[in-house]
Amino acid sequence: MSQTLSGVGVTPRSGVGTARWYRPRDGRSETGGREHDPESERERIERAFASAEAGIESTRTSVADRIGEEEAAVFDAHEQFLADPTIREGIEAAIDRGEPAERAVEAAFAGPIEQFEAMEGRVAERADDLRDVCGRLLDGLSGEERADLSGLPTGTVLLAERLTPTDTARLEPERVAGFATIAGGRTSHAAIFARSLGIPAVVGVGEGLSTVEEGETVGINGETGEVVADPDEAAVDRLSAGVDHDAIDERVRTTDGREVDVAANVGTVSDLDRAIESGADGIGLFRTEFLFLDRTEPPDEEEQLAVYREALDAFDDRVVVRTLDVGADKPVPYLETEEGSNPFLGVRGIRRSLGPDSALFETQLRALLRAGAGRQNLAVMFPMVATTEELDAALDRVETVAAELGEAGIEHARPELGVMIETPAAVLSARALAARVEFFSIGTNDLSAYVMAVDRDDERLAALGDPLQPAVLRAIAESVEAAHDAGAWIGVCGEMASDPSLAELLVGLGVDELSMSPISVPAVKAEIRSIAAEDAERLAERALAAERLPEVEALVDHD
Amino acid sequence: MISRSVEVVPENGLHARPAARFVQTANGYEAAVTVAADEGEAVNATSMIAVTALGVGQGDRVTVTADGEDEEEAIEALCAVLTEPVE
Repeated sequence: MSQTLSGVGVTPRSGVGTARWYRPRDGRSETGGREHDPESERERIERAFASAEAGIESTRTSVADRIGEEEAAVFDAHEQFLADPTIREGIEAAIDRGEPAERAVEAAFAGPIEQFEAMEGRVAERADDLRDVCGRLLDGLSGEERADLSGLPTGTVLLAERLTPTDTARLEPERVAGFATIAGGRTSHAAIFARSLGIPAVVGVGEGLSTVEEGETVGINGETGEVVADPDEAAVDRLSAGVDHDAIDERVRTTDGREVDVAANVGTVSDLDRAIESGADGIGLFRTEFLFLDRTEPPDEEEQLAVYREALDAFDDRVVVRTLDVGADKPVPYLETEEGSNPFLGVRGIRRSLGPDSALFETQLRALLRAGAGRQNLAVMFPMVATTEELDAALDRVETVAAELGEAGIEHARPELGVMIETPAAVLSARALAARVEFFSIGTNDLSAYVMAVDRDDERLAALGDPLQPAVLRAIAESVEAAHDAGAWIGVCGEMASDPSLAELLVGLGVDELSMSPISVPAVKAEIRSIAAEDAERLAERALAAERLPEVEALVDHD
Repeated sequence: MISRSVEVVPENGLHARPAARFVQTANGYEAAVTVAADEGEAVNATSMIAVTALGVGQGDRVTVTADGEDEEEAIEALCAVLTEPVE
């Protein structure tokens, strides 16, 4: 009989498949009660350490390759956990007492795992890292690989108490229809990796998940957090209809015919492939920082040119490139980053490009204008603009670079130019700014933080910094109106745009383009096809009339 | 023996990547290094577990103490890790 459980959905996808329980530590060999020879146990433990170290290194490389450098950094922490002197000492002491190596390892990790879990938030989540490292040592001792998650039959729904980062990194999105875990939270590594890999996933289902039997059909809805065991036909249809939200390559319209661009945010060259596969209508935010980070010298014009060309060639649709936005949380080693007392309010974005990084800015503009030659789809926008002077200066640089290229007889393009709307000042000056450019793009994460004066990373202020705050919605609405009155188009490229449940509100506010991480593109396209612009406008009107966040939330939930 | 007190800049505080880098750096010096969260007990800076368990967040103040021949270089390098805003 069909049974529905619920947990925390972590991926905007759903899938149906065959349940398979993953119990990595179950069939471990019994070590018996006899006394163990410390010397031979010490040798075994040395080998286990060596193999764990090699394993961490190889997983790190493969994650950096398949998922991303940021996710791979988790394994730098694992390396240090493995090398922790207290773990070493604990294991050695237990072995000296005649304990078998396995028990020594488990005992050495048990205390810290418990200690981490007793703490809140981020520290508690590190317990999974300790489990992962402990598991590697136990694997090394048993001489067996952990159950190999990379060779699962196609259509598997993996069920587990929890998945460590290493476990999750081994999953193949082509084979795994989804996974659900008893423990875990939205910000656990497993959840983050699942999102990056595009695997439907629900975490934190609780003990109820244990009632699902091996081999049973299970549906996972990573959006709502539903886990359906033995679903009936209607539920299978519903969940499979959501499988991957098949990429919709063409542009989408609302039921009453309003076209909305659904574009992708891209931060690396490999994101570009994901964006193409997702069916995105071009790139709404091409972050160029990755070209500049993790290296000792800036990329030269030719190197940048090659990357920009690749991006422009990948799409017929518009590709919006944001000029270098460093400072704040993204320092670059070869740039002088004299941090003010508050980096988010410091010299960042266009403030750097017009100041200390002006040579870099010019090189970037040259590469961009050259990349656009013979193509119609280049758009360039400037981050952190607060005044018309800044915008005029940036536009002036573009003019100068174009003139220089022209004089030198180098082919180049006149791109569409735009402004990121992130600062309250830009909203309040939106009319003057709009008169100077072809488009706006609202960075809702920064805009909410600056409008509400909250630190984005302070969890205590999460509700205050919500982009659904009436003040933020009004800032969006004003920017839209100013853009449209000036004949400019306007997009949203913050996290808000990737939430299908907010698409109707943004369409209703008049936004022309939504840009998001590639994984969310199919779901948002599907959502736009199901809404009427007329209803969306009514919803937006009611939302703009709201005076409190909960009122807006209730409106969005109802629809 | 020298000590220095700094405010932690990386956005995730002393966790994950910054913590790993901090511990790795501490291991690179002869000096014995400890780190303490505001008013708290000093822990071994070469223990990833101890450093993580401090639960230090962005903006928290920590005190690094080094004792040994290369204590000055150690303090310098460790405080740089704590005050570089990169995650």
